[in-house]
Amino acid sequence: MKLNVKTFAAFIFSSFLMVSSFSSASAERLTRAVADWTGGMVTCEVAEQILEQELGYKIDSIVFPSGTGLWEAVADGSDIQFACESWPSYAEADEVMVNQDLMYDGQVVKSDYKGDGSVEVYTSGIIGSSDYFVPKYFVDANPDFRDWRDLNKYKDQFATPETGSKGRLIGCAVAGWNCHDQKRLDLLGIDFEAVELGTEVAALAEAQAAYSRQEPFLLYFWTPHWFQGAYEMVGVKLPEWKACDKFTEANNWEDCGTGSWPATGWDKDYTINYMNPAVFAKPEMANAKAFFQKMKLSNDDQAVMINEIDKNGRDIVEVVQEWKDNNKDSWSKWLP
Amino acid sequence: MAFLSSTKKNTSNSSYYSLLIPFVIFVAFALSIYLAFQSEVKSTFPKFATDAFTFTAWINAGEDYLKDHYKWITRLIASYVKVGYYGFEDFLLDSSWVFVAALMIVPSFMIGGLRLAILFIFGVYFWGAVDMWDPAMESMALMGLSVLLSVIVGVFFGVLCSQSDRFESFLKPLLDTMQVMPAFVYLIPAMFFFGIGAAPAILATMIYSMPPIIRLTNLGIRQVPNETIETATSFGSTKTQTLFKIQIPLALPSIMMGVNQTIMMALALIVLATFIGAQGLGAEIWIAIRKLDVGYAMEGGLCVLLMAIMFDRFGKALSAESKTLPSESTKFHLLPQEWEIYPIAKIIEKPLGTIHFIIETVFKLTIGLVAYITSEIFSLFNSDFAESISNFLNKHFYFFSGVLILYSISLYGSIGPGIGQFPESWALSIREPIESSVQWLTINPTFIAFTKGLRAYVTIYLMRPLDTYLTFMPWWYVMSAFVVIAWASVGIRFAFVSALLLLFIAACNIWTQAMITLSSVMISVFFCFIIGVPIGILASYSKRFQNINEVILDAMQTLPYFCYLIPVLMFFGGGVVSALIATIIYSIPPIIRLTVLGLSQVSVTYSEVSKSFGGTTLQTLNKIKFPLAIPSLVMGFNQTVMMAFAMQIVTPLIGGKGLGKEVFAGLARSDTGRALAAGIGICLLAIIIDRISLAYTKKQREALGL
Repeated sequence: MKLNVKTFAAFIFSSFLMVSSFSSASAERLTRAVADWTGGMVTCEVAEQILEQELGYKIDSIVFPSGTGLWEAVADGSDIQFACESWPSYAEADEVMVNQDLMYDGQVVKSDYKGDGSVEVYTSGIIGSSDYFVPKYFVDANPDFRDWRDLNKYKDQFATPETGSKGRLIGCAVAGWNCHDQKRLDLLGIDFEAVELGTEVAALAEAQAAYSRQEPFLLYFWTPHWFQGAYEMVGVKLPEWKACDKFTEANNWEDCGTGSWPATGWDKDYTINYMNPAVFAKPEMANAKAFFQKMKLSNDDQAVMINEIDKNGRDIVEVVQEWKDNNKDSWSKWLP
Repeated sequence: MAFLSSTKKNTSNSSYYSLLIPFVIFVAFALSIYLAFQSEVKSTFPKFATDAFTFTAWINAGEDYLKDHYKWITRLIASYVKVGYYGFEDFLLDSSWVFVAALMIVPSFMIGGLRLAILFIFGVYFWGAVDMWDPAMESMALMGLSVLLSVIVGVFFGVLCSQSDRFESFLKPLLDTMQVMPAFVYLIPAMFFFGIGAAPAILATMIYSMPPIIRLTNLGIRQVPNETIETATSFGSTKTQTLFKIQIPLALPSIMMGVNQTIMMALALIVLATFIGAQGLGAEIWIAIRKLDVGYAMEGGLCVLLMAIMFDRFGKALSAESKTLPSESTKFHLLPQEWEIYPIAKIIEKPLGTIHFIIETVFKLTIGLVAYITSEIFSLFNSDFAESISNFLNKHFYFFSGVLILYSISLYGSIGPGIGQFPESWALSIREPIESSVQWLTINPTFIAFTKGLRAYVTIYLMRPLDTYLTFMPWWYVMSAFVVIAWASVGIRFAFVSALLLLFIAACNIWTQAMITLSSVMISVFFCFIIGVPIGILASYSKRFQNINEVILDAMQTLPYFCYLIPVLMFFGGGVVSALIATIIYSIPPIIRLTVLGLSQVSVTYSEVSKSFGGTTLQTLNKIKFPLAIPSLVMGFNQTVMMAFAMQIVTPLIGGKGLGKEVFAGLARSDTGRALAAGIGICLLAIIIDRISLAYTKKQREALGL
């Protein structure tokens, strides 16, 4: 009989593999996505800790970049059952997948969803808002700079090789978001060019580099976000948003006048937690569903936790646990 | 020097061509400039044609149909892959770190000796030391399984290819597409069909990393000399027997090379796999990048880099093993043998040699004892078998000592006091220095003045004019230029094919984006060329420089590009210039490598002849070495172009434009058709340029009589 090293190696390796074990799943198990920005992480960690510690669920988590892919995964429901804090004005998937009224504090805040209902949504409590920002050192150096109307005066300081004589706006971060930055600049008569960098990371890196060099820059951004905690930024106070029916592609983005913020409705974002309706319709998920209907994390609470995590470099689980231990009054109201 | 006279004859025969061709090119170019700058708007395809050709809608409808009807099949496949993955991952995560470390270090020591073992020890230490042990294990499971499946499927298709010319010519364009098609394009659809997490990641990785193994298996089998096959046939072996007993074993070195490349390509996808929920080092890097934590991302990137280098060197040692048996002359274990002349090298090597000898003796004795006992036991039943088993054990004493070590560690871990976590006191962190040096460069006035100057220069004098030129030139003019070039270099059939491919791009209404992509690729390749060729020349003259160069090139190719995208952006500002620089970093290695190869392959005789005729070094380089290295250079150019095209899908992350941005826009709106059309656009451009430059290489080779 002839023996062969390879057969032996294969045999030994497979015997190692056989020893390994498989874990089994239990009934009240849910899988959530870990968001890829700190605010979203905090919101979902809060939900997870309450669901696990107060309501007895077991939550697994998967790192999954947010975006349409995540919405599709939640709609599918077999691998991920819920995710947190989507910003509806930036998501496009919500228009396709949501078919219910959005409630906040007992009030309907959005009633025109006409999707196929493959995803169920409830507000998370966090309200996002957007504006154009300049660094504080720029305002300090130019005391007569008050708001967006003064931008043209200083456009030379904001110019880059790519934009020529115009100033540069580091525009809306993600290609999929409908921000219409250039349109807005044109309509407001701001002689700037919006440069899209494609990702939030890129926009932030650009802003951070410019900040550390103390150069002036104009940045489209939103709060709450760790960036505001780490760097001092001042909003240019764009005019209040007003619904404008004419401002659509079909009407060739017709002017709505400069008295209002001519864009899609994204000055205020009622952010949403979203989940798979079939999974949450099961009787054993009733408590979880009731919790999501009531959950209302405040911007201030989230900002404190974001700061602890990003500025002081602490572990997210520990920070959220600490908040949960000290703020029983806030979250006990969310329990079913 | 027959080849020189033959090229000369060629040119003298076609002397009137030599005047005509530059003239035609000049006129065509002048006309194109006129056409581009007299037109007021960007060139677009007629609207009725783009409206009729609703490719994106067809794709989306097809996808919906497949999703509704065939999802269960793909989900079934995914569930099998998933079980395999979790088995593998649980095994790696549940075993103690010492066991996993030994499982990697022991074989590396047996196959590659002390040098490889030290690399492995360092790699394993680094994963633990930067606190990325678990992610590294997850990535390893992911990569291991994708490579395993790629090799099984790839060798199968490679063998099929080698048996049928028709199948080969059918598969070839498919393989090209698999390699150039941006992975982002099929990642999201893969998720609909295969769920999220490891299974779709493994299957997507297979798509990307299988081509080299198919190609090299095919090549290896086809390269088996005819005489060998005829001999086998004349001894009466059937076709199957010849294939399995002669051709495949003889093709093994080539197949091993394919495995190596497959591993490299699988690792390149680790970060992208995060986008469909695969865990591991990629997820760590992505989260760090999201927080602009350059140092942390770089640590993750270095873990991937080390993993790549470890597997690469292991594979190389494995395939080299049979060729170069350790001869008596190589006594050094760590340092290069040439250093024998230095006394200090001997001082270092002496104890190592002794330790090596002791280990070997202990291993031999232990296994000798085991062999003796087993043979005694078996000789009770069958003495022949007992002897063969004892011989076998004694012969492979290294292998079985390794197995013994692994089993004892595993026993110690489960029965003994336990091993526990990677010791915290061994931790190492390089994120602070990386972070602070990036920060220092970001605010360094001289450096930033330099980057700003470069950025302004490139934008104003290169990017903008070329973008305008290409996008404003009428589409039919660009198309005919391509067709004429294709006709002249490849042939009439390819001219038709490229016309069709370009019409597809135009009809999908992505002509402008395609031209912008073409312009960025042209500029990046231009820079790669003017930077890469001089470096290649330097490296071909200095061995020491070449050694350093190799390491840097390896790093550039295997370090996930996400790690350097952010620093590049911080230095050069977001936008097309950063995109350009990232593309150059990623795609410059082939041109440098092939310049070195081309120049050092020129036989010494030619340079000697040139020198003896009084040629200076520069003259030799210019007149002899360069002309002879042209095929190699064109090959390098070709690969650089391919990689530059592949990078176009990543650059939109930091402000790049063109087709890549179109892919992202499609994905963000859940519009697979739009993303796919743009992805196919990138592929088609790449394939056309690939074919043209390959045909050019072939002609050059023939002209040089190589």
